[in-house]
Amino acid sequence: MTAVFVLDVPENRGVIEVAGQDPLLTVDEVGPYFRISATGESAGDSGDEPLGAGHSSTTGEIVIDRRATACRHAVWYSAIAGLQGARIVQHDKNALRVVPG
Amino acid sequence: MIKEEHRARGVDHAAFPTFDPAATVRFYRDVLKFPVVHSICAAGWGPDRHPDFIHFFFDIGNDDRIAFFYYFGHEPAGAPDARGDAWARLPEGTPEFFANSRHLAIHVDSEEDLLEYRRRLDESEWPCEMQVMHETIESIYTHDPNGYMIELTRALRPVTPQEDLDAALTVDALCEVASGPEATLEKLLTRKAELIVERAEAWERARTAAPGTETVAP
Repeated sequence: MTAVFVLDVPENRGVIEVAGQDPLLTVDEVGPYFRISATGESAGDSGDEPLGAGHSSTTGEIVIDRRATACRHAVWYSAIAGLQGARIVQHDKNALRVVPG
Repeated sequence: MIKEEHRARGVDHAAFPTFDPAATVRFYRDVLKFPVVHSICAAGWGPDRHPDFIHFFFDIGNDDRIAFFYYFGHEPAGAPDARGDAWARLPEGTPEFFANSRHLAIHVDSEEDLLEYRRRLDESEWPCEMQVMHETIESIYTHDPNGYMIELTRALRPVTPQEDLDAALTVDALCEVASGPEATLEKLLTRKAELIVERAEAWERARTAAPGTETVAP
């Protein structure tokens, strides 16, 4: 499983909402954390077509558009609490992109 | 009666050397309006030719104090144009983020209070250098006449219990990862995810079962 954990605090809600709207991501709860998981077997097996702002993941990868989350920078860069079978390949002012690790 | 484990009660005083007591008093007493609350005038004594000195204190609220030492006849060491402060000049090449990592942050209760201190600084020789909205706090920064970075900060909201759990897991993961080879944020977050899976649900169950008695222990 490729997943990231995000703590349930008000500042992080934008990240959870954007992930929750993405049909290629699953959001569940582990104690006071949200776990955002990529669905699908592996990256690329259904194409790499982005699904639009806030719906930008590809199969097996987690992609979250920062602007869609409305997180200010200090929140955005500290929103990730844990990586499960995952590796961050992009975490900048535009997006977070997590691939199988 | 069982004494509680955590018996400390905040900062009694944090002490720093100064080579410019007049500017230090202008900054803390006259600009920030921190009362002078204590002083010691001492002749140097002891085995290592300690100079005569003045130790003086300002109230920073909550009965906590910032204190300074002025040593008569003692000159600063190091290159005066090097990055650093009255306590030490840093080696060439020391980055600014590292120099500023050591600082004192003083708490205020409200945005109104934060902006009042900003106004006082902006009217002084030491204007506010930065106003930053962090994750859960808002802060203003300046350097005092000795080069020490001073932050004034307010909380944007109260800290939640799950943030204490998160901090406990971060620190446990940090101690493990930083004790091993080539520590990285990715290694820490991977280890922290394991700790979340091990402990987070039990923490929530315990908290739900006994509201108000949550603990960060595993």
